[in-house]
Amino acid sequence: MAVDTNKLSSAESLSKTRTYGKFRCHNPTCMGRLEPKPGDKHVKCPVCTCEFRVAWIRPDFPRIRGPVWEVNKKLADAAFKKKMEGK
Amino acid sequence: MALDRKIAYIDLATGEIEVKPIPLDVRRKFLGGRGLDAYLLLNHSKKGCDPLGPDNPLIVSGGILTATCASATARTHVMAKSPLTGLLGSCNMGGFFAPEMAWAGFHHLVIKGKAEKPSYIYIHNGEIQIRDAKDIWGKTTTDAQWAIRDELNDQEVKSLVIGPAGENLVVFANVMTGIKNAGGRTGMGAVMGSKNLKAIACRGTMDIKIAHPVEALEYNKHFIDQITSAKVNKTQGTLGTPFIWGATNSWGGVRTRNFQYNQCEYADDIEPEAIDEICEDTMGPYHMSGCFGCQVHCRAQYRIPSGPLKGKYDEGPEYTSQGAFGGETDTPRAETVLVGNHLVNQYGMDNLETGSLISWAMELYEKGILTSKDTDGLDLKFGNDEAVLEMIERICFRKGKVADALANGGIPASKTFGKNSFDYLIQVKGMSNLHSDERATPGLALNIATSSRGSDHLRSRPAIDLYHLPEKVLKKIYSSPIPYDGPLSSEHTEYIGKAWQVFWQENCYMGVDCLGICKYHTTFLGATLPNFEDWPKVLYYNTGLEFTPEELWDIAERCNMVERLFNLREGLTRDDLEKGDMINHRYFDEPTRRGAPDVVGTTIDREKFSKMIDEFYEHKGLDQKGKPTTKTLKRLGLANEPSHML
Ligand code: SF4
Ligand SMILES: [Zn+2]
Repeated sequence: MAVDTNKLSSAESLSKTRTYGKFRCHNPTCMGRLEPKPGDKHVKCPVCTCEFRVAWIRPDFPRIRGPVWEVNKKLADAAFKKKMEGK
Repeated sequence: MALDRKIAYIDLATGEIEVKPIPLDVRRKFLGGRGLDAYLLLNHSKKGCDPLGPDNPLIVSGGILTATCASATARTHVMAKSPLTGLLGSCNMGGFFAPEMAWAGFHHLVIKGKAEKPSYIYIHNGEIQIRDAKDIWGKTTTDAQWAIRDELNDQEVKSLVIGPAGENLVVFANVMTGIKNAGGRTGMGAVMGSKNLKAIACRGTMDIKIAHPVEALEYNKHFIDQITSAKVNKTQGTLGTPFIWGATNSWGGVRTRNFQYNQCEYADDIEPEAIDEICEDTMGPYHMSGCFGCQVHCRAQYRIPSGPLKGKYDEGPEYTSQGAFGGETDTPRAETVLVGNHLVNQYGMDNLETGSLISWAMELYEKGILTSKDTDGLDLKFGNDEAVLEMIERICFRKGKVADALANGGIPASKTFGKNSFDYLIQVKGMSNLHSDERATPGLALNIATSSRGSDHLRSRPAIDLYHLPEKVLKKIYSSPIPYDGPLSSEHTEYIGKAWQVFWQENCYMGVDCLGICKYHTTFLGATLPNFEDWPKVLYYNTGLEFTPEELWDIAERCNMVERLFNLREGLTRDDLEKGDMINHRYFDEPTRRGAPDVVGTTIDREKFSKMIDEFYEHKGLDQKGKPTTKTLKRLGLANEPSHML
């Protein structure tokens, strides 16, 4: 057939680079990679100081459950004020 | 053979039925599923036809791979001119219907005319009957399906049905199959209702011959592994799609209070883990189920845990119901979301359109454009859980002035409500957004602006843009199968390269919709899922047809252009807020107030947005007005449409 069955497709080769134990900070331009310790319920981004609640899909696979509301709300309000001052 | 499945033309007015094979040259141009449906719609509808009139053809299909050994070929597609938008109507659902239709001998149905009385179509191993539906009319979506099984004395029958919303011509009524599989956008259920067609029931035991069965099964093992090992699908299999809403809400990408906020604060009660707990408490540990041939199992089962409907069984809720009845209306309570989800499933009504229109009406109420006199005393304020549930009921049964107007869709309702109500309506081409807020994501804003069926996340959304993938990963994905050496950015707040990503995704989603495979099995939510480079193998082993990845890309591009030709014929323009590739002024004028620090204070830049549209048009081979050039039509083999090959 027209397709080389032995050659890995782009998606297949990218699958090989998956990591389960880390996730990226939810602050878009921050790009911090966060790696909570097994069982941790909170994580703080060392780059932008946002804090998140952590849930575990399986013992080696964490995900962000949601923000720590009080912390991230304060950061957001301060950022909003600053951006509006500049407008 | 998958390729010997047929097309049936059914005239409900005369009872005439014609069955034809689908020629190979048609397959090579449009494959099947949504792509071939678009071709059929363009060829079998007349310009300006009434979406709720007998001349609007209703087209139902499975993909070219439906019910083969390929994984998750569960999707059913329905197409017609939309009574909601007046443009392309299209919806796609999971479940078990399309495979049953394929086993009954058919891949495509073209249903014309209007039955004299309530009817349903029954297809059984190549035979088609039009039957009386008088005992089924008026039933909810699930009751109707069980009644059809009883009447036919066959518990294996799978049906596509409408509920009361479709019968009442609510212009965003769903077509449903099973408990929660919803063809839920653009009002295809109303088109069925307008034809007096309550259901299409199928039962089939006709074999589908696989071209290379050993290789097909062997490759599918590998395919399944690639799909189930993806992080996104591991999450889906544990929490279902609610994880999408939860993650998006976390950084500030969901609409709240219509469009006033971009995050629903303290929504812990409807976070995916909280909903999962309810599913586990009410249905036990094995509460995730799946569609035909799928190993991801993203669909939760639950019973309503409390309140007047306590104990009622349902499935989901999808992230769309979390957004529609939790976030948008600022009622982030699990019971409201679960009951709202149950009601729209039973009535057969689009959760997204329903929630969006209710939250729009709530903002109008807050602003005094609607008053309690208009709502017959209902306190339609944000945060009022009872008002949300009451409005679902009222819209379905068209009770009262406000609900009746909303049942006609947002744009007509804005004309009824008057004042500046239209300014607050978050829609594109007459269809409401998903619950998402795209002010901080220009690529996603471009996606909703240009999607063929109106504001929509399932036609071209570059969702992986939200993962901040390194540029070299983006390059790898977006430079194949067609080379692309333009810029790409890891930041979802950027404008660079987003037009190409939207164009690429548009073709990717069309590809998967032609194959009949679920979108969670391609580059939608996960960067490592199969796409053009992987599909030729699945196609070859199952059908014997050989395609290169580039050829599949061309087919997808062609099918998308057919959808655009239909829309242009029906009045699509570039900038018109009612029928154009344009988003509401609030995206440009009102900065986001909540979310991550980099998200707050963001608007879409009008000039950059317009430039993205230019670029997108250029990638598609359109002129500045959004019309395909002669050269493009020639390149795609569409210079002579409608060509009536089928
Ligand atoms: S991933 Fe979910 S929606 Fe898709 S086929 Fe599987 S169970 Fe159905
Ligand atoms: Zn960070």
